Amino acid sequence: MTTACCGCILLAPMSRTITELSVHLATEADLAGSLGAEIRADRSRLPVLFPGLPRRFGREAKTGGRVNIGPGTVELRAFRLCDLAAAWLLLSCHATDAELWDLYAHGDIEERAMVLRSLHFLPVGPATVRLFGEVQRTNMVLHFEAALCDGDLFARTVGQPGFDQTAANKLLLKLAFLDLPLHRVLAAEQHANPELSRMLQDLATEREAAGRAVWRDTWRLIGMAPTAGTAARLVGGLEHGDDGVRAAAAEGLLALNRKDLRPFAAERLPREPRAEIRAQLQRLVQRLADA
Amino acid sequence: MLIFEPHIHMFSRITDDYERLCLAGVRAVLEPAFWLGQNRTSVGTFVDYFDTLVGWEHFRAQQFGIHHFCTMALNPREANDERVNKDVLAILPRYCEKDSCLGIGEIGLDDQTPTEEKFMSLQLELAKRHKLPVLVHTPHRDKKKGFERCIAIVKESGFPMERVLLDHGNEETIKLTRNLGCWSGFSIYPNTKMDPARMVSIVLEYGVDHMIVNSAADWGVSDPLMVPRTVAKLEQALVPRASIEQLVWKNPIAFFAQSGRLNESMLLKPARANLRETFEGNSVLRGQDPDRA
Repeated sequence: MTTACCGCILLAPMSRTITELSVHLATEADLAGSLGAEIRADRSRLPVLFPGLPRRFGREAKTGGRVNIGPGTVELRAFRLCDLAAAWLLLSCHATDAELWDLYAHGDIEERAMVLRSLHFLPVGPATVRLFGEVQRTNMVLHFEAALCDGDLFARTVGQPGFDQTAANKLLLKLAFLDLPLHRVLAAEQHANPELSRMLQDLATEREAAGRAVWRDTWRLIGMAPTAGTAARLVGGLEHGDDGVRAAAAEGLLALNRKDLRPFAAERLPREPRAEIRAQLQRLVQRLADA
Repeated sequence: MLIFEPHIHMFSRITDDYERLCLAGVRAVLEPAFWLGQNRTSVGTFVDYFDTLVGWEHFRAQQFGIHHFCTMALNPREANDERVNKDVLAILPRYCEKDSCLGIGEIGLDDQTPTEEKFMSLQLELAKRHKLPVLVHTPHRDKKKGFERCIAIVKESGFPMERVLLDHGNEETIKLTRNLGCWSGFSIYPNTKMDPARMVSIVLEYGVDHMIVNSAADWGVSDPLMVPRTVAKLEQALVPRASIEQLVWKNPIAFFAQSGRLNESMLLKPARANLRETFEGNSVLRGQDPDRA
């Protein structure tokens, strides 16, 4: 059965997600079940029970790597048992967008993190977009990570109503602003585009002018969607004093795939002190020779 | 010496106070929900205030390495206000379950009206349901009678005395509370309720068992450093260090640990301060470099 419910929630996929979350809740699934029953019997219990989930289920992170749960893929070790319990409860009681917003708006820092982590398991909808807007505005690293990192929620949300490329670019720029690694936002690199490259390069220039560090993944992303100045920044990155920047620049050049830049890589290769970066440069030189 | 300041209204204090508290050894503060100096006219303003206690204020304290806790309640003054009293009681349950909420308070009596008594009783029931201790505000006028009435209401409700902190005490009220099994609180104010020298005399006479001191600093003439000042006076009076530590650190922790949401090990490190972060877009910085502030 697939029935519209609460504006955005579909029952059949929801039921599958609940079952999968129950597996990860393991011995605590019964506790979640009893809390869910309490909420279904009396809706006003949701905001009363929600704050106590970390105390009841624990704040310890789960163990395990990348898994598919319901609509998304997540890095399980980044989620705590209370996050999974929160998602289980919200799904099982068919929480509306208004209820999600209420829990977030009147939640403490911990509750807000749970609501945002739960988004990874709920169907993407207007609540996702609204809360993405909030985490972009707040600058609270914990909350930004909860919504954006360690899952493919960002990638699944791009293109949904209210979350076009411009909105997506702003969030990735925020990722750079907070200096969080790109790889934690699964599949984000698939949404590289020239406008994002321009924004990242402008931020890099601004940071350099202020004598501050630049987000290393800048060099990685701009190579995938070049704009004015990209090639020069990537070539310059090969001479950077930071190993991470040189590695990212080599990757960026690999993605850029411009044969005319091969001499710069070839010239750098024998001078590169790091073996792993030398290997990258070797691949780059070879690739551009074949191009 | 580490200090747990168990009654201070940081909502009404400036950011410099947090820095001074931190420098004076205050590792944690507890902020009871209270009256803001004038009555509120709708429940929405209480919602905003309670959200601030678990949100912005909690965040602001952290920026100075200070752990911030609170107690939630409809205060005695506004318990008399029919525009808000019932509605505030209705919204309290969700706030009683917040992680940083360690009790119900300030409840109690102020003008000592029947309505205040009714809402004190109702909130004792709330504390029972949420298994929380209570912080009781006692009247500043006709204090001894107010203390006696508060004690009677607690007894009538069957609420366990060991989970009750009767605050704003003095030389007279300690005689009432010392053998009850409850906790006796003393607010050290500049020249009014209690001062450091008088507090030293009380400690020398009664010891520190089940005793708690606080500044109750708020928007009025008050001093957030009254607990550190009292520590200095106690040291000068040669009160053993272990007793002073019990009074300003172990006792408040022991009382609020009855919530099941606090233990000493949580406070061994300063709160996580990250000046790069903002809360709902707001920061304690005013253009300063977060790495150098």
